[in-house]
Amino acid sequence: MRRMRTLLLGLIIGLLWLSACGTPTAPAPTQTTTTASQPTTAPVAPATTRSAPQQLILAIGGESEDGYDPTLGWGRYGSPLFQSTLLQRNEQLQLVNDLATDYTISADKLVWTINIRQDAKFSDGKPVTSEDVAYTFTKAQESGGKTDVTTLDKAVVTGPYQVELHLKQPQITFVQRLATLGIVPKHAHGPDYAQKPIGSGPYTLVSWEKGKQLIVEANPLYYGTQPQIKRLVFLFVDSEGDGAFIAAKAGQVQVASVPPSLAVQQIPNMRLVDVKSVDNRGIMFPYVADEGKKTPTGYPIGNNVTADRAIRQAINYVIDRKALVQGVLEGYGSPAYGPVSGLAWEQPQATIEDTNLATAKQLLADGGWQAGSDGVLVKDGLKAAFTLIYPASDATRQALALSAADMVRPLGITINVEGKGWDDIEKLMHSNAILFGWGSHDQTEMYNLYHSSAAGQGFYNTGYYANQSIDSTLDLALGAPSEQEAIAFWQKAQWDGTNGFTTKGDAAWAWLVNLDHTYFVDQCLDIGTPQIEPHGHGWPITAGIVNWKWTCK
Amino acid sequence: MQIASSILRFTARKLLRLLILLGAVAVFSFVLINLSPIDPVNAYIGADMLLISPEQRALIATRWGLDQPMTVRFARWAEQILQGNLGVSIIFNQPVATVIADRFSTSLALMATAWILSGAIGFVLGILAGMREGSLIDRAIRLYAYTLASSPTFWVALLLLIIFSVSLKWAPFCCASPPGLLPDQVTITQRLQHLILPAITLSIVGVANMALHTRQKLIEVLQSEYALFARAQGESIWGLVQNHGIRNVALPAITLQGAALSELFGGAVLAEQVFSYPGLGQATVQAAIRSDVPLLLGIVFFSAIFVFVGNTLADLAYQVIDPRIRIGGGAQ
Repeated sequence: MRRMRTLLLGLIIGLLWLSACGTPTAPAPTQTTTTASQPTTAPVAPATTRSAPQQLILAIGGESEDGYDPTLGWGRYGSPLFQSTLLQRNEQLQLVNDLATDYTISADKLVWTINIRQDAKFSDGKPVTSEDVAYTFTKAQESGGKTDVTTLDKAVVTGPYQVELHLKQPQITFVQRLATLGIVPKHAHGPDYAQKPIGSGPYTLVSWEKGKQLIVEANPLYYGTQPQIKRLVFLFVDSEGDGAFIAAKAGQVQVASVPPSLAVQQIPNMRLVDVKSVDNRGIMFPYVADEGKKTPTGYPIGNNVTADRAIRQAINYVIDRKALVQGVLEGYGSPAYGPVSGLAWEQPQATIEDTNLATAKQLLADGGWQAGSDGVLVKDGLKAAFTLIYPASDATRQALALSAADMVRPLGITINVEGKGWDDIEKLMHSNAILFGWGSHDQTEMYNLYHSSAAGQGFYNTGYYANQSIDSTLDLALGAPSEQEAIAFWQKAQWDGTNGFTTKGDAAWAWLVNLDHTYFVDQCLDIGTPQIEPHGHGWPITAGIVNWKWTCK
Repeated sequence: MQIASSILRFTARKLLRLLILLGAVAVFSFVLINLSPIDPVNAYIGADMLLISPEQRALIATRWGLDQPMTVRFARWAEQILQGNLGVSIIFNQPVATVIADRFSTSLALMATAWILSGAIGFVLGILAGMREGSLIDRAIRLYAYTLASSPTFWVALLLLIIFSVSLKWAPFCCASPPGLLPDQVTITQRLQHLILPAITLSIVGVANMALHTRQKLIEVLQSEYALFARAQGESIWGLVQNHGIRNVALPAITLQGAALSELFGGAVLAEQVFSYPGLGQATVQAAIRSDVPLLLGIVFFSAIFVFVGNTLADLAYQVIDPRIRIGGGAQ
């Protein structure tokens, strides 16, 4: 449906453009019609004026319908705008201090002691103290929101600016909570808070009209560098479809997030910013053979064809990922060989030379697969055929699944591609290959994708992948005393020269591509170097918003 | 005295029907939504599925009472409803009544404009076409009506948006007011500017039904014996339409207009989606695709009452127009 609409839109725009060329008398687009009636006192950002506008209008989606309360999950990708976090990830995704001045982890890795800066104030003028930090973490741990702080045992105030966070078990990925959980004021946090947030972040809320827009202004009490852009308007038009594109085309916004299919268009005075992401897509294989086992909820586990390592590796080797990027993603993407492409904890050695029919054939021959009468491979009477399911609502995944099936066919492996709803996928995802997409800055995701203990819990390790040595490496990573030390283990789990869950090892998945996130940005707006973005397209681009600059005079 | 008691009887009967209707709507919607395959917890978590532990999922389910069986939830919900409390929306984390009031205030202007315009224009077009059956104007109106009746609302909306907002820039491209202005800075003129395109979309799609039905009915009237008799007495075509046509045609038109209220809800959902007009329609779509049971039920309730009231008003309007079915007048 969305694809259809986008196609339709493209068609109509094309026609109009043609007709506009043919008739030079067509009314020239002017700004005056829309601005003339606006009161002169109101801030207006006409696109034809190139001097700094008093406010930026961004159509990047990301409305948090349930409000702006970090304890319920607001800002879980970092940079919560209204609040500030203890730590932050910079452009290279390294951890740097924000509210925290330093933190130490006890020898048993259960107690995290955090000192916070003493000059931070909430936007209502009250100071930020360790009471507020302890309150925030306790509240987030209790409430059923979108941020998971269940590892926390308790938060103890040990000084006006010092707090201890006690964990139930060692877990280095808890540092991600420090980098994403915005601190809320204990004195002003109640049921209304989500609608009227108060925090110590760079911006404060001016007005929020649900479903329409969020207006924010620079917080004069912010302890960090004052942002150059004093007023921002987030316009909530449909940013996954064509709404944001239309807004940009109408010259009404300075930043618009658009799907890759519309990124090929031209918009006057705007440039295309193509941001790398770890928003990945890949084929999950059931790892175990079908032995008639069922999940606790009664769904079948295992697939005899994909349980064969030769099949999984051969598929990984034969697929032409660059062609997928060009053909399906219009060039806005990059090949993926693992679940954490481009992040500091990616194992570079896990990358393979793909589009390699010879290697793939050799692997299959070594694995005992022989051509059957109809060209499909056979091993001990088992045909090399299985079903690959994609969510029917997602046209990109459909195209990826169909292209992958085509690329695999010359090997003698038949992939039947089917689109299903998520409710059906939940029943079939332990016994069929699924085209999934994930991608996060939180390494917990990698753990849950590949650790055998996560098998069968919701969308965690759905293929029941299990390898004891990988399990222990992942456990070592999670129990490491610092993120830096954990990274070595995260990389080893991917591939350590003999073992790993990526292609050269167990090839538990065939990762295909990472989607680029495409934005139209005003030519006068410098948005710095964006981070490698997680799964969500849109809001993550605001991570560095404090440093955005208007460059035209 | 007799009239007063029959008005009382009428009101009581209507109220009883409304109660039965709401009861049935409540039970059916609740069961249907709970049978929906969409898991509200999954819908809420979205892409963060791999970062939320089973413990946290349990916390989320408890927060919304989803850990209870359906019957318990229905009993709790019904108990709250009887106290006048519609519950709290899962998506918006706010009382359902607040969300509906907020959204409906945006939708009201849009729906009312579209309803009045499509009714009035459709009626006039129907009369014009019916008066001169088979003429050029009749055929033009029919062509228009058939074309529009078979065009999807969202397609018409998109087309108008592309032509008038993107290309010609005569109309704003989105929303219920200009972006970047605080609610109290927005003038009436600006609100109207933003209302025009969605309202026109809904109207031009809505006129088809009314025009075709009115046309058909008027043709019937004009072919009747009393019309022939009037013609024979020297009545002009205009006089015929004025004295015999409009009154007779008005009855089905009013029924149709009353019933159009429910279609209006459906059309508004699509138009609001295309024009990013944050009204009740958008909220309905979200509530449905994310299994927000309290909000969806609240909206279903609200729209049931809305349509019911609309149809009742149509019933009452009959009695003003048609003396034959006037309350208390029927017996004589």
